[in-house]
Amino acid sequence: MRPEACAAAGEALQVETEARAPTPDATVREGEMEGALQVVGEVGYRAASVRAVLEYSGAHRKQFYDHFDSLEDCFGQAYEAWIERLGVDLLEAALGAGGWRESVQASLVRLFEFVIERPAIARALFLEVQVAGGAALAKHEEATERLGAALDSVRAEIAAAEQPPDATAFFVVGGIEAAICDVLAEGNPNRVWDALPELMHLTAGSYLGNEAAEEAFEEAKRLRERPAGEGEGR
Amino acid sequence: MTHLELVDSAPREEDGPFSAGTPLPHRLPPGRHGIPANLVTEHQRLRLIAAMGEALAEHGYAGVTTTHVSERARVSTSTFYKHFGNLWDCVLAAYVATADRLCERIEAACSATEPPLSGLAVGIEAGLAFVAAEPAAAQLICAPAPLEATAIAAARRLLIARLAGMLRRSRGGESGNGPSGIDERLIDASLAFLCSRIGAGEVERLAELGPELTALLDRPRRAAA
Repeated sequence: MRPEACAAAGEALQVETEARAPTPDATVREGEMEGALQVVGEVGYRAASVRAVLEYSGAHRKQFYDHFDSLEDCFGQAYEAWIERLGVDLLEAALGAGGWRESVQASLVRLFEFVIERPAIARALFLEVQVAGGAALAKHEEATERLGAALDSVRAEIAAAEQPPDATAFFVVGGIEAAICDVLAEGNPNRVWDALPELMHLTAGSYLGNEAAEEAFEEAKRLRERPAGEGEGR
Repeated sequence: MTHLELVDSAPREEDGPFSAGTPLPHRLPPGRHGIPANLVTEHQRLRLIAAMGEALAEHGYAGVTTTHVSERARVSTSTFYKHFGNLWDCVLAAYVATADRLCERIEAACSATEPPLSGLAVGIEAGLAFVAAEPAAAQLICAPAPLEATAIAAARRLLIARLAGMLRRSRGGESGNGPSGIDERLIDASLAFLCSRIGAGEVERLAELGPELTALLDRPRRAAA
């Protein structure tokens, strides 16, 4: 993805650049928000409860209600904070890579690492947000649009007659998310690596056509087969 | 994993008066109507399945209850539980029935066309017409299934495999060109795309998306000119 596109998306996310020590109250609030996502990711949005969030975070009920109006409010605020952080993380991974295709792959690798490290949070962010709806789903749509805009930056390198359809970004981001939802629903997040070549084929092919898709597929397959710890990603 | 088959749940000729494409009446006539008990039961089940998609569209996964579905189907909650063990069983039945109807529409449209090259556009047009006519049911099959509904996730994988098979056949071959699994990703992306359009309230514009969706499905597999 082009650096300026990633930077613009990063600015839109209002990245906090100055590290400040969190206050004790902010730490408790942060724990409650993480707890809301964790619990929703473990038991589902419909079965989640404030009690389970308090058990996870160690906070007291009064503290929770000082911070949030309800579990729904807590989930909405937690969703906004975590999806933005993840968005920044993915864009940072993209900025650290070379060309567009490399940056797409780097972002996918970072996304997969997140899914494997925090599967319950990932289930809340990608699957259960569809159940929750409301403000969280609106934030999901915003994040999708930002990532789509970053992907669309490759259009500047494509001749006018060869431009892909307008909806390509929606299509690609939707396909990536569906693949993640599939492995999360199956309960086997490590399997997400199997999808890397196919998702690179989908992304490169949707913008640049079959030849680029085949190259991206083979490149991702080599990366996937590389032993853990060797080079980029796994 | 739960083994599921996308069975033909649409009413058939031999199913009786609620079949052969006739619109489902909201409820049977009151009093002594002389309709056999098994047909009454089947009629209730079909009403519940139809009501499920509508109730989900109105209340979402977060809010939908068996009472919402029962009220829409004009049956009691106890009747609901005679047909389904819980809410998710009914969602699954609605999912499978809708997925089957979608696939049948696409297959019927494609089998009516001569050259296989036109199959993709024809199939997409038929699929979009179905989604536009039944947006609530279509949203059910396009959106990812929630955590609690594990069987729906399995049914979704079957639907995707079936649609991916159609996509491969539209290119004139069973296996198609290039690596396997790509067509499944393209179908995944198409469903997500349609889900976002329905969610954005663009149901009336769905039919116009045919050429764009055809291009999106074709481009990653098409060799450069």
